[in-house]
Amino acid sequence: MDIKFQKIEGRSKGYYQLLVVTGLMAALAPLSAIYLFVNGHHVTNMTNQVPWGMPIVMAVYLIGASAGSMVLSAMSSVFGKTEYKPFARMAALLAILLIVAALMAIIMDWGRPDRILVPFFHFQPRSMFSLNAILYNSYMLLGFVYLWALFNDKVHLTRILGLAAIFIAVGVHSGTGAIFGFVYVRELYNSPMLAPSFIAAALSSGTALMIIILVYTFRATGRYLDDRLIHGLAKLMGVFILIVFYFIFIENVTRAYAPKNYEAASFLLLHGGKYTFYFWGGLIMMGLVIPAALVFSPGTGTSIKWILTASWFQLVGVLFERYIIVIPAQIMPLEFFPDKEINSVFLDGQYAHYSVSLVEAAYSIGLIGVVLFGYALAIKLWAMVPTEAHHLEPLEELKEEEEEKFAELEEIEGGEPAS
Amino acid sequence: MDRRDFLAIGTVMAAGSVMATGLPALSNTLSEEKETTASSKNKWGMVIDISKCSPDCTACVKACGKENNVPHFEEPELDIHWIRKISFKQKGVEGAETLSMPAMCYHCEHPPCAHVCPVAATFVRKDGIVLVDKHRCIGCRYCMIACPYKARSFVSRHVEHQPGDNPDVPRRMHGVVEKCTLCVHRIDRGEEPACVEACKKEGGGMKFGNFGDPNSEVSAILKTSRAKQIRPDLGTNPRIFYLGI
Repeated sequence: MDIKFQKIEGRSKGYYQLLVVTGLMAALAPLSAIYLFVNGHHVTNMTNQVPWGMPIVMAVYLIGASAGSMVLSAMSSVFGKTEYKPFARMAALLAILLIVAALMAIIMDWGRPDRILVPFFHFQPRSMFSLNAILYNSYMLLGFVYLWALFNDKVHLTRILGLAAIFIAVGVHSGTGAIFGFVYVRELYNSPMLAPSFIAAALSSGTALMIIILVYTFRATGRYLDDRLIHGLAKLMGVFILIVFYFIFIENVTRAYAPKNYEAASFLLLHGGKYTFYFWGGLIMMGLVIPAALVFSPGTGTSIKWILTASWFQLVGVLFERYIIVIPAQIMPLEFFPDKEINSVFLDGQYAHYSVSLVEAAYSIGLIGVVLFGYALAIKLWAMVPTEAHHLEPLEELKEEEEEKFAELEEIEGGEPAS
Repeated sequence: MDRRDFLAIGTVMAAGSVMATGLPALSNTLSEEKETTASSKNKWGMVIDISKCSPDCTACVKACGKENNVPHFEEPELDIHWIRKISFKQKGVEGAETLSMPAMCYHCEHPPCAHVCPVAATFVRKDGIVLVDKHRCIGCRYCMIACPYKARSFVSRHVEHQPGDNPDVPRRMHGVVEKCTLCVHRIDRGEEPACVEACKKEGGGMKFGNFGDPNSEVSAILKTSRAKQIRPDLGTNPRIFYLGI
């Protein structure tokens, strides 16, 4: 079956409204970055106690969704899931936009974004940031070439690049997980599970994002989208969610087992106030239990409305997951002497405080705006969206019709003896 | 511009950025070490006897602030600390005695901060002093996440020059991370760090010296096996030791 891609018309009032809203959102990103740079980081709630805040949460969140989208895009060419071929271009486009937004998140959070060229000239092989700079950039490069190959129907090249993209996406994610996992001094960071659980959450949130974008794009443009394709993606998301759940479970029970980690584990799981709430309510309930239940239940698993709900829950749940990974480890005081109570004017031995400041929130909304605005514009400028997306197998009703026709034919021909 | 052009430009830009990351990295590893006057025969460090450290005394902190023009913002969460006084007592024991000690950058042999710095702005000088190149630091704050000792502070406000500033230590810009330099400018002049000098007039618990010289006073104290590091289990091997903990 030939898939035709066509630019969206983009002349409706709704489309222009979308451009204006997402454009205004996107404008928040550079505006808040300039505000931050001119004033200094004291305008945020990031401090010397909690050096990393919402921008880093957003960076790892966007990187995750990007890698997830890229893997989905490559599924048709690499794993032979040809029914997803109609989505390959859109998914690759999203992957590129998301990694660009993630890089923006990181760079504009620096104290000195004016030194953007410094990392190009100085390298530290032991630093995950340094290694990730190479990984993220090669990933972005590959994304562009891959999209080019998709546009030009280079079948072999697409397959090779798709495979390479999957490998790099795994690298990008292991690398991102390792930023935290390698920090051996903070109990809530130090874990080999962070790398694989990052990949799993990337796949689940990337799939959730794709489902949402697909359904809304096809709906808004009035193009045909076979529901069964979304059912398939929803099942896939469900499997990824179970894997995330497994990794989170193993990570936490391993940590909680060691007496030296009792304080850290109970802070996160039992008495950490809003962090405990984000863990159980945000990650476990919203991110995992509810969406998994929705996509695996026979009643809701085939309803587009419920699948969309599940995807939104998962998307927000993974944002909580990223928040829980980045922030609580900094809230916990560093152990100077594990057997002693300590105190100082620099707030040693005390739990730190963090909440998302207004400028950080504006910055985060801006980054999402960049992705959405870029997407809305790109599907008008280039033929990203297929005119229709069919499942490989015909629908049940069509199947029945065909069978009837076949039976009629047999009758007319007098019925050949069964061989 | 059609989509082919767009994709081509995008590809070239992305390719350029990858090469720009990779190639200088290679040349960086091939290039010669920076020239310094420091000698690898020296390994500077300290031994601090906390039995001589009074909880009320902040002479070391004040001397450091003056010597290094450490700004003070009057905001505990944002303030910059090169050296601070820590008080501590045994956990879960009622009526436990509270002891006091100065804490600072420990100039580790294996500094996690230098390991994680993506641009190698934090580096170890040949004589073991861990320094930050303020002109190279991009302000990513990964070092603050990795340091086990909270020795690093981020300058989150603009710092104004003051008339009484020490001209030997530059005032810094906001947006970079800074920390104790072990008064490297004084060491290079053959002097002791400002905190140690100030401490001599008080309890005299801080002893500065060269662990590279087996006959130095600090090396002799290590031979008594009574000196302790903070979190030796981490393997960072700090060069500042404590007596009496």
